[in-house]
Amino acid sequence: MGARIRSLIKIFAAATLAGWPFAASAQRNSAIDAGRAVRAAAPDAGVPSAESPLSEQLEAAARGQAAPASAAADGGTPSTEPSLSEQLDAAAGKPVPSAGVPAAASPQIASRGSFQSLNPDIAVIATGAAGFSQRAPLLLAGDDPDLKGSLTEHSAGITLQELELAFQSIVDPYFRADVFLTIPNLNGLEVEEAFLTTTSLPALQVKAGVFRSAFGRQNGMHLHVQDFVERPLINAAYLGTDGLRPPGAQLSWLLPFPFFLQLMGEVFSITAPDVPPPGSYPHLPSFGGGQRTDLTYAGELKLFLPPSESVSIFGGLNVATGVSPGLVQGDATIHQGARTILYGVDLYVKYKPPNQAVTYFSLAWTTEYFLRRIGSTATEDGLTDGGLYTQLVMQIARRWFVGLRQDLLGVPSSDLQPLTSRTTLDLTFYPSEFSKLRGSVQYDAVDSQAAIIQQLALPHVNNFAAYIQFEVAIGAHGAHKF
Amino acid sequence: MRRIFVLLVFSLVLIPRWASADDRLNVVTTIETLADLSQRVGGEKVTVQSLSHGYQDPHYVEAKPSLAVALHRADVVVRVGLDLEIGWLPILVTESRNGNIQPGQLGDIDASTFIEVLDIPTTQVTRAMGDIHPRGNPHFWIPPVNAVRIAKGISERLKQLRPGDKAYFDGQFDKFLADIKRKASQWDGEAKPLAGLKIVTYHKSWSYVSRWLKLQEDGYVEIKPGIPPSPDHPLRLISLMKAEKVSALLMEDYYNRGIAEEVASQTGAKLIPMASDVGARTEIRTYFDLVDAILRNLNGAHR
Repeated sequence: MGARIRSLIKIFAAATLAGWPFAASAQRNSAIDAGRAVRAAAPDAGVPSAESPLSEQLEAAARGQAAPASAAADGGTPSTEPSLSEQLDAAAGKPVPSAGVPAAASPQIASRGSFQSLNPDIAVIATGAAGFSQRAPLLLAGDDPDLKGSLTEHSAGITLQELELAFQSIVDPYFRADVFLTIPNLNGLEVEEAFLTTTSLPALQVKAGVFRSAFGRQNGMHLHVQDFVERPLINAAYLGTDGLRPPGAQLSWLLPFPFFLQLMGEVFSITAPDVPPPGSYPHLPSFGGGQRTDLTYAGELKLFLPPSESVSIFGGLNVATGVSPGLVQGDATIHQGARTILYGVDLYVKYKPPNQAVTYFSLAWTTEYFLRRIGSTATEDGLTDGGLYTQLVMQIARRWFVGLRQDLLGVPSSDLQPLTSRTTLDLTFYPSEFSKLRGSVQYDAVDSQAAIIQQLALPHVNNFAAYIQFEVAIGAHGAHKF
Repeated sequence: MRRIFVLLVFSLVLIPRWASADDRLNVVTTIETLADLSQRVGGEKVTVQSLSHGYQDPHYVEAKPSLAVALHRADVVVRVGLDLEIGWLPILVTESRNGNIQPGQLGDIDASTFIEVLDIPTTQVTRAMGDIHPRGNPHFWIPPVNAVRIAKGISERLKQLRPGDKAYFDGQFDKFLADIKRKASQWDGEAKPLAGLKIVTYHKSWSYVSRWLKLQEDGYVEIKPGIPPSPDHPLRLISLMKAEKVSALLMEDYYNRGIAEEVASQTGAKLIPMASDVGARTEIRTYFDLVDAILRNLNGAHR
């Protein structure tokens, strides 16, 4: 195992080496910058403005320096050098006795070469995946890698798991706007999020547009901040295959306490999801049914406590209610129009020492549990089911992370939600902040006695799958939430 | 439902903000050096808190929600700028829902606008060069001239925010200037023997100090900013350091010492762990302690 990791490291080292011509150019740049810096230093240092003879300039160029400053650096004009005290007076804008110090105290900010643009920050994040699976997964989130296989056959292949386009900007002194377009599995352009956020309301913040609900922890996260190749099963099972990200509005209130306690209320307008093709795994959506006046409401309470500098605890209580569109079974649609109440609790505990010189080691433990109550209708009884995942992600070196996750659906189980387990192990390497490479293996175990599973007549009830995922981010992408 | 909403809005108005207990300006800074400078020019009229500690790498601070709470109560945020805090501060400022400190507001102080920026790339920047700062080098707060310029900038902004206390803030700044000038001749003396000292640094974060002290930077342990060195780079660096007779290798306390120790031991250069911010070590409590420590460490290597 150790030898394998070492050989992997060698491969990555070789990959880094392939970029060395760029390094050479970067070094050239820094040499140029150094020259620039010295030139810039010249006016401050009070060097006489008389031009040096050409021969001196040529010698200086050969040394990679600018002529006038080199004279100062070599001690050629020591008598004109102001003392630190005089320089400090100049910086403070005070009158300076020495003639050697220029009167202009303010730095030459205007001469900065940076180029101003009012375009939004634009970023593209491409996530590719290659994998093998004994059969298609029963539940697949929209941005999980889709190998396009069926439930009855092996599948292997390569997919562009997601292409995300991000546009982010401050609108004016009152709003900021964030737009994220996504193409999951090359299935066409979707609006993943497009929302405005108020920045100046006292204590309150309004978010409006299409956005990821704050329900739970994973739902709010984009694919590229996930710790695993696939999203947790409970997200697709209870929040919908794309997660809970419909058009809506959110009001959040930072309670006036010395610690972080935030209360959020959300209202969404959800359209019923597409009816899945026959032969696929029957799955009852939670929200999006009823009349167009039946909105979906959600409420969340988030609490952050840092017991020490190295330890963070972030917890949430969530509830959402809406109307289920029901599940088509043969000629009938069951649970159509039933009131859904979804409860969620999430907990994130992280250990990360702030001083990296001591260790890069960090450990993050995340657990989420969802419980869904489908109400009874005139013709049917209601049902209750739930699920959870718990995951541990350990940073073992500066750029290496190991993750282990256990998903459990069907706690408690129902006719529509048999007990399903998924165990995932992954290893992630970050060559830089802007790229990542991940390998993952996972094993699904399903209750083969459940009627809903027996109907499917799966050749492999349990399922082994393995993926390699690679991701690059280009452009300016905003920071992510804790 | 409507009644509940009305009650909610009322409670918002009626519950006082915790920070409004006194009339001091609540200043939140991103690093501890800026906190010390802010405290010096703000005196008794401000309370100051730093979001990060001196022993942390300021590029990588976790955007903990507790920091958003600190920013929520801030009247002023003082930041380094030049994208040093880009990985964590913007999201916290948005989460703070504090209109006073949003970018471009009076309560948003970007210290980099007060100083002369070095290492601005003059050619096309790509990330093949590593995680470089396209707007220039943000590690500028150590040289005394820059500290004075930053303090002056903060002082001017405090006067704009509290015009009634103009005379007080002017007095505080003059006091700071007098204090730092008292140290100036000592620092000039300690700086003199360092001129021309050949150094290698871990990260390209000492440009401003090198310019102030006329140190000659011959190379960097990080082949590219933010990317750990590949195995062959240290070998090239070692031969370069031997050829150039580089005598010191500077690195901040928060970097891992493994490779730097290896390079230093093979070249005979002295590895100098450097504090780069107030609070980097327990004994460095002020900006003056920081500059004293840096000059002392460099002179120790020189001998």
